[in-house]
Amino acid sequence: MAKEQPNVFDLLPLLESTDLQDLEQVKSLLQENLSTDKGSLLVHGLVDYYLDTSSPQAVDILSSIREPHDKHLLDKMNECMAKQGCRLPTLTLLGHVVRKQPSWIHKIPRFPLLASLLKCLKTESDIVVLITGVLVLIIILPMIPQTSKQLLFEFFDIFGRLAAWNQRNPGHAQGVYAVHLHASVYSLFHRLYGMYPCNFVSYLRAHYSMKENVDTFEEVVKPMLEHVRIHPELVTGTKDYELDPIRWKRFETHDIVIECAKVSLDPKEASCEEGYSSLPDHVPRRPVDHSRSFSDLSSHGRSSFNSMATVRQSLSLSLPHLTVSQHACLSPQTPSLQGAEVTSSGMKEALWSPSSVCGMSTPPSSRGMSPTTVTDLSHSASHLSGRIPGTPVDGKWTPSASTPSGSSPLPSLSEELEHTVQTTSTTLPPAKANQEPIKELKKGTPTNINSKGVAADGLSPITLTELPDFVKTTERDREEDAITEELRTITQSKVDLLPKPALDSSFSSTTDSILPLNPSNDVLPCNLASTPERATNPAEGVDQHPPLSFWPCFTPIENSFSPCAADDPLVELSKGTCPYEPLFDLALPRLACLFVGKKMVEAQQKAGGHSEHREELEGEDLSTTSPLEVLDRLIQQGYDLHEKVLKRSPSLSSQSSESHSGGKHHSTKGKGVSPGAPDELALLRSQLLLLHNQLLYERHKREQHALRNRRLLRRVINATALEEQNNSMKAQLRLQEVETQALRVSLQEEQQRSKNLHQDHEALVQQLHSQVQQLQQERNEYHTKTQELQSDLQESQKRIGEMEAELQRANNKLCNTGHLLSQLSIKLNSSESMEQQMAFLNKQLLLLGEANKLCVEEIQRLGPEADKEHKMLQACSAREVERLRQSSIQQSQRLEAAQQRITDLEAQLTKKEHLILEQKKLLENVKSQAKGQLQASENRYLAQKHVTQALQSELLQLYSQIEINNLANSTPAGGTTEPSSPPKQSSNGNNTGPSTPAQTSEPSKREESSYMCVNGDLSLGSPPLTALINGSQEEDLSVLSCNSPLDVGSCPSAQSFLGIHNQELLNKRKSQYEEEPAPLISLSHGLQDPSLEPADKPQLGTSTEGTAAQALQEPPDLQPVDRPRARAYNIQRRRQQDLRIMDYNETH
Amino acid sequence: MAEDLQRNFRSAYYEKVGFRGVEEKKSLEILLKDNPLDVEKLSTFSQRFPLPSMYRMHVWKVLLGILPPHTDSHPLVARYRQEQYEDVREALKAMRFVHAATPYTELYLRMHQLENQKLMRRSELTQPGEEDEDFLAIARAMEEIVDDPVDCYWLIRCFVNQFNHKFGDSIPHLPKSLEHFLSQEDSRLLAHLKTSGSLVLLPYSLWFRRCFAGSLPESSLQRVWDKVISGSCKILVFIALEILLSYKIMLMGTSRPEAVAKFLSNLPQENTDAIVTKAIDLWHKYCGTPMHSV
Repeated sequence: MAKEQPNVFDLLPLLESTDLQDLEQVKSLLQENLSTDKGSLLVHGLVDYYLDTSSPQAVDILSSIREPHDKHLLDKMNECMAKQGCRLPTLTLLGHVVRKQPSWIHKIPRFPLLASLLKCLKTESDIVVLITGVLVLIIILPMIPQTSKQLLFEFFDIFGRLAAWNQRNPGHAQGVYAVHLHASVYSLFHRLYGMYPCNFVSYLRAHYSMKENVDTFEEVVKPMLEHVRIHPELVTGTKDYELDPIRWKRFETHDIVIECAKVSLDPKEASCEEGYSSLPDHVPRRPVDHSRSFSDLSSHGRSSFNSMATVRQSLSLSLPHLTVSQHACLSPQTPSLQGAEVTSSGMKEALWSPSSVCGMSTPPSSRGMSPTTVTDLSHSASHLSGRIPGTPVDGKWTPSASTPSGSSPLPSLSEELEHTVQTTSTTLPPAKANQEPIKELKKGTPTNINSKGVAADGLSPITLTELPDFVKTTERDREEDAITEELRTITQSKVDLLPKPALDSSFSSTTDSILPLNPSNDVLPCNLASTPERATNPAEGVDQHPPLSFWPCFTPIENSFSPCAADDPLVELSKGTCPYEPLFDLALPRLACLFVGKKMVEAQQKAGGHSEHREELEGEDLSTTSPLEVLDRLIQQGYDLHEKVLKRSPSLSSQSSESHSGGKHHSTKGKGVSPGAPDELALLRSQLLLLHNQLLYERHKREQHALRNRRLLRRVINATALEEQNNSMKAQLRLQEVETQALRVSLQEEQQRSKNLHQDHEALVQQLHSQVQQLQQERNEYHTKTQELQSDLQESQKRIGEMEAELQRANNKLCNTGHLLSQLSIKLNSSESMEQQMAFLNKQLLLLGEANKLCVEEIQRLGPEADKEHKMLQACSAREVERLRQSSIQQSQRLEAAQQRITDLEAQLTKKEHLILEQKKLLENVKSQAKGQLQASENRYLAQKHVTQALQSELLQLYSQIEINNLANSTPAGGTTEPSSPPKQSSNGNNTGPSTPAQTSEPSKREESSYMCVNGDLSLGSPPLTALINGSQEEDLSVLSCNSPLDVGSCPSAQSFLGIHNQELLNKRKSQYEEEPAPLISLSHGLQDPSLEPADKPQLGTSTEGTAAQALQEPPDLQPVDRPRARAYNIQRRRQQDLRIMDYNETH
Repeated sequence: MAEDLQRNFRSAYYEKVGFRGVEEKKSLEILLKDNPLDVEKLSTFSQRFPLPSMYRMHVWKVLLGILPPHTDSHPLVARYRQEQYEDVREALKAMRFVHAATPYTELYLRMHQLENQKLMRRSELTQPGEEDEDFLAIARAMEEIVDDPVDCYWLIRCFVNQFNHKFGDSIPHLPKSLEHFLSQEDSRLLAHLKTSGSLVLLPYSLWFRRCFAGSLPESSLQRVWDKVISGSCKILVFIALEILLSYKIMLMGTSRPEAVAKFLSNLPQENTDAIVTKAIDLWHKYCGTPMHSV
């Protein structure tokens, strides 16, 4: 890097190399370096280099700088702004950069550069710097529309200061400066008014209401206000809304420029776009402007274009062929009218761009679309090629002219040439740079370009050949040799540039400055010799007081007071109108008559003296023209003068360079001061610079317009496409309508047919209806007939029924009579038999009477004796019956008593049963209680047993230990015998098996005792014992009895209610035993013997009893201790047995 | 009659306000007034309602058969029990299995062993086996609950005997049943436990063989044992289930079975009352309320 750094700086001087290849290499190298290096060094170096040399290459590089370097660049420029000497070049550089519209431009308000620019504009007194700064500011403004209020007021202040500049510092600005300054202030005014109308107007109101500013307002601002219409924002917008960033977001830079142009009435500033400028507004004004420009330049070719433009404007797209025809018919007219100036007018036509003539900053937007494009293009091409001779010359001299040294390095060249060169040369390189991208863009439509190129080629030779006639041939020759190559390329690029109308308009100022080169010779002979005369006039009269003399001449402010303003349009119109009469008749009938009248005046002017007319012109022009136009005219005049001078001494171009240069631009400096004044040179240079700046500013404006145009073009294309679509849709619609018609006709036919069918159908239906009705009538008739028949039928049926009833009745009668007859016959029969019986009975009666008589006789014979016995018998039986009845009553009474008794007894029985049940319950209760307790004790016993077992096992272990110890100590024989006995004993307690001797003695003892008991039972001496033996279960009794007399004795002590009960039972048995003793003994014997064995066994089987038995069986050892325990145990046993007895009772 | 009416009149309000216990205490007192005591009714009561702590020991004793149903014989039987305790203890002292400083739990263990003829000889004493450990755990818990050593011994002894006798067969099936109820209550948790392998490693012996002795604090344990003593071992399953559900978040968090087992073996002691209450509700929900009315 460090190695490369100086290397890069070394490259900087190489930028001025004349070798194109080297230049390209150096440039690409520098750019590469910039893209890789983020440091500020190179940028600073470049800026410094530019400040030193004002090299266009450096500008080129700096203005295409990228994002990270913008800060360095702006900082560096800010730094430079602080230095008085560097201000101008810095501002120029800033202008270049800004015009490039880099992507980071919107950041500029954040940098101090803007502030220092504003400050510079507010404080600077050097007018060149001021103008340059203002132009930069005007360019920047639309790029940063979202300003703060603070900044806005600073802009306004600057405007106020500059507007009042001439008033405040009358000595400062000489005429040319004043014009420039005024033009730039005018532009600033337009910009501010267009962008911030409310704020600006309020500022104006505030600022110029002050007394000291009134005259400034009157002189400067008021005329400016005349050139703008009322901004719509003044009606709808507010101050705040203007500063609202949202408002500005939808505008691009060029939009804002156009917006500003729209509110302007000045053709130099205004835009001709539809929307703002309506036709009636334009039409009357345009011709005036145009004719004025004709009057200035008096070229028929121009005017033809001019009128074409206006016509096109007014008539819009619909009449493209018309303009073509006009143009076609006009061009031949020109030579016929002005025969002598054919060539010159041809040249002018070629040189002049139509847009510049008609004063529009933007050419008509419809151009690209219209069929006339080709012709237009050929035209522009031709006038470009006319211009070309000027431009290549400039291009060629660029390197030498751009050197800051006051004296030109090529003294052979004429000074004026050099000047023109300088003005154009600076513009050309950027123009070229612009053309190239556009050319690339345009490649999409190569046919157009080609045709144009051809046209240009065809025309250029003519102009080139013609040129020497107007300009000095020597110059032309010299140039040609050197720059043929360059010229080619430039021509080529220019031609390419042409299709873009906006671009060629961007050159309008260039052409303005160049123009005088060519036509000056011819213009003078023409009716319009105003400028040269004007130039000479002040030069003669006002040489001594240049500032004073210029004031009235160039500032429109003073001229606005001139009384000739009203005449102005007429005068102007009179000039170049002859060929356009038909046109104006066509477009502007109102003005036509005026033109006829003015034609006369024009003819007079042609013939008559120029001076008068010139006077008029001056006054008229200046009164209404805008500062821009004044500027234009200033330049024009300067050039005219220059031409004149040149003409005077065509061969002495190199010698009189200085003097010419002074007179070239303005008569002020013209001849009086020309001889070799160095400050004059500086002055001229600064003027040149101003012009250049103005040029650049204009060009920037054109570029913005071009952008805008492109977009509008796109819209127009879209619109026409849509229109086409619309048309096709309409055609479709028409087709469909036709189709619909056809369909409708067919529908009607169908309807007719269906109607016919319908009618037929209805007729048929009616016919059928009538048939049906007929049939129905018939049917009704039949119906009535059947009804009649039916009623007949019913009647006859009824009659039949009646007849049948009659028949039945008759039958009944017959039957009755028959029955009666049979009854009567039966009665007859019975009466006959009765008669017979009667006779028989009568006979019997007679017989019985006979017998009765006989019986009565018998009774009377017998008497009363037999009745007594019978009566006695009757009484006897009655008595007997009475007796029996009484006994039966007795019996029943007895029965009742018995029954009473039975119920009593039954009640008693139930009571007893209840009692028993209660008893049982109680018993159960007690039993369960006892069971619980018993379980507890059982538990306890078990525990005891386990304890004992544990103890025993422990004991055994201890014994075994002792034994082991003994074994270790004494003889083994003695040890074994002694300890062997206790285990035996313990085993004896648990198992019955080994203890034979004890066992054998036991049963024998028992048997004995049992015998005793049996014996005792038999003997009368021991009744309680026997009672016990018999009552209790044998097994336990035997144990008890055998054990000891003490136990036996204790038995009764435990006697309770149960015991007594037992005894009673025993007693009963005893009486039975007494009756039959022998069998009982044997029985008891038999019972006891087998019962003893099982009684013993359970005792020994259960270990509990075993231990108890053991305890009992060893009385000698344990008796004193164990007796009470054994006794307690016995008691328990007894209780248990008692319970068991109860159990038996229950079960039995 | 008047008293009975008053009781009924209040009971409606108790139920409404959410009081439980006042009414039940009265009911229990009525039950305890019977002579002989109706053991079946008592056990039903104990299953349905929480026991008032002042009657708990008495009811337990009756339910475990330490005291007979006849109130009259209570003093006598109590005396027997005490004597038996004394005898066995003395015997153990004599055999030098225990001495004055021996902790009660060990004494109870020895006594139990002695009574069940499982007592080793002194020279052959070994480390306590698993069953002995269970016994010791229960003994420790019971010791906390009961003050009197005699009562304590008897309660432990009868509790262990009854538990082994009554539920010895069903204990191996309890883990299965736990799995079943867990699947009904929270199948996700079950799946997690299954996949992580913790299900087989849950502290089943702590839960089902020791009846949560040592796992739950005594205040909660009493209520569990109420149900166990009154004849339900299912409650153990529901306690375990409720423990799992309560600590679900924590269990879902860990997948290591050892950590799960360790955590469940040393449960935090707070909040156990709520767990037990919820578990009893769950138990009632799944097994229904015992039908015997008081």
